[in-house]
Amino acid sequence: MDEGERVMVIKIALTAFLACASLNAGVYETSCVSCHNKLPVSLDKYFYRYLLKHSSEKDVKAAMFGYLKNPLKENSVMAEAFISRFGVKKKSELSDEELKEALDRYWEVYKVFGKLK
Amino acid sequence: MSKEKDTYLARSEKRTLFRFSALYALLSVVIISGFSFMYYDSQKELTLQEKKAALQGHSKKLLQELKELHVNFDKNRTYPRDEEFESAIYDSDKKLIFSTTPTPLRVDKILYLEDGMIHLVSIPESYYLGSKYVIVKMKDDGVWLQETKKELAIFILVAFSFMLSVGYVLSRLFLKPMRDAIHLLDRFIKDTTHELNTPVSTIVANIEMIDKNSLEPTLLKKINRIDVGAKTISNIYQDLTYIALGNKIVTRDENLDVLRVAQERAEYFKSLADAKKVSLRVESFGESTLYMDKGKFSKLLDNLISNAIKYNKINGSIAISVKAKEIIVSDTGIGIAPQNISKLKDRYSRFNDSSGGFGLGLNIVASIAKEYSLKVETSSKEKEWTKVSVSW
Repeated sequence: MDEGERVMVIKIALTAFLACASLNAGVYETSCVSCHNKLPVSLDKYFYRYLLKHSSEKDVKAAMFGYLKNPLKENSVMAEAFISRFGVKKKSELSDEELKEALDRYWEVYKVFGKLK
Repeated sequence: MSKEKDTYLARSEKRTLFRFSALYALLSVVIISGFSFMYYDSQKELTLQEKKAALQGHSKKLLQELKELHVNFDKNRTYPRDEEFESAIYDSDKKLIFSTTPTPLRVDKILYLEDGMIHLVSIPESYYLGSKYVIVKMKDDGVWLQETKKELAIFILVAFSFMLSVGYVLSRLFLKPMRDAIHLLDRFIKDTTHELNTPVSTIVANIEMIDKNSLEPTLLKKINRIDVGAKTISNIYQDLTYIALGNKIVTRDENLDVLRVAQERAEYFKSLADAKKVSLRVESFGESTLYMDKGKFSKLLDNLISNAIKYNKINGSIAISVKAKEIIVSDTGIGIAPQNISKLKDRYSRFNDSSGGFGLGLNIVASIAKEYSLKVETSSKEKEWTKVSVSW
């Protein structure tokens, strides 16, 4: 196998790996993390704002779901200065099931339960 | 003789007194318990309020540390701890987020004492790390409890003594009408017996002195009737004297020949039995002795024989059976209803109005029997027979 063929094989393998990885990624990673990664405020900041206001898993998820389905300035947990600077996000195009799945994952990533020592 | 000793409380009166006492005791316990509980509760509340300020300080400190932890949660995940108090945080669904103690805590009350620990539940304005309920708890030194227990012990003692005194006064007031009525009756009997003494003794003594063999049959018959009447009065008189004088009668115990006393008493009552056409016989089933006062044994026997005559039928019979440790007086009389047998010994109780009497007889029998530990048993078949056994 010459050098050119070897590079081709590696490219194919890499493409296949990335395709597989993309297939395994959940709706949270594809629809939430991918965009928020490009923003200056990390995802955990939103999570702890919700936690500060709504406390339990059920209430936090319900508030997030409500906001993502109908994002309004009045619904937002973020500070007014934040809204003035970044504005209100667009309404989510995800289905209810997808949104719930994304929120479940979001909760699991940032929840406090079991992390305190 | 004191008024109290004179006054006899019948079973029904004792029952009334017992019911009153039970009700009074129950009410006293309820009142004292109620007051004790209220006092304990107020002392507990006072202690909690005293400790509240310290707990609020601990809670404020914990909240400040939770706030810092919330802000820096990506860098630090160590729950704040303090030697002075334990703490726990719960979310709005009352789900435990973290606790420094393994015991589950209650969040439904703000300030409470449980398992020797004082708990304060705070609800902060912002739920740091999701904690809606922040509980801080510290050990109760228990000094207030020791003090309260001492004070309660003294209170219960004083209150119970007071209630006891009030109860005693109340029961005396409650029983006064009953005591007065019984006392009046006893007093009446005492006065009457005193006035009867001389004439009755004179009649009985004079009849006994008459030589009956020298009398004409018609006069003898009249004298016998007077004899029967006088003996009846004498019997009643002796019963009343026994009741009125009670314990004041001087006793002289001796070894009695029971058969001989029975024969003497049968002889004494012969004229009364004859007048009612009742046959009276004494049967002996062996030698029998009893260490007792003769007067009291005669009184006991007189009452049994007198009753057997009084409640007998015309042409009936009476048998006095003397055994080694028992004497039985049986008659062929009107009998006693089963439900009345247990009430026989009550003073003034009579179950038949056809014959005279004060209903004292069997009460006297019971009182003498009690004094000498004799066992009195009555059996009867209504309208057929009655048997009274006295054993020792």
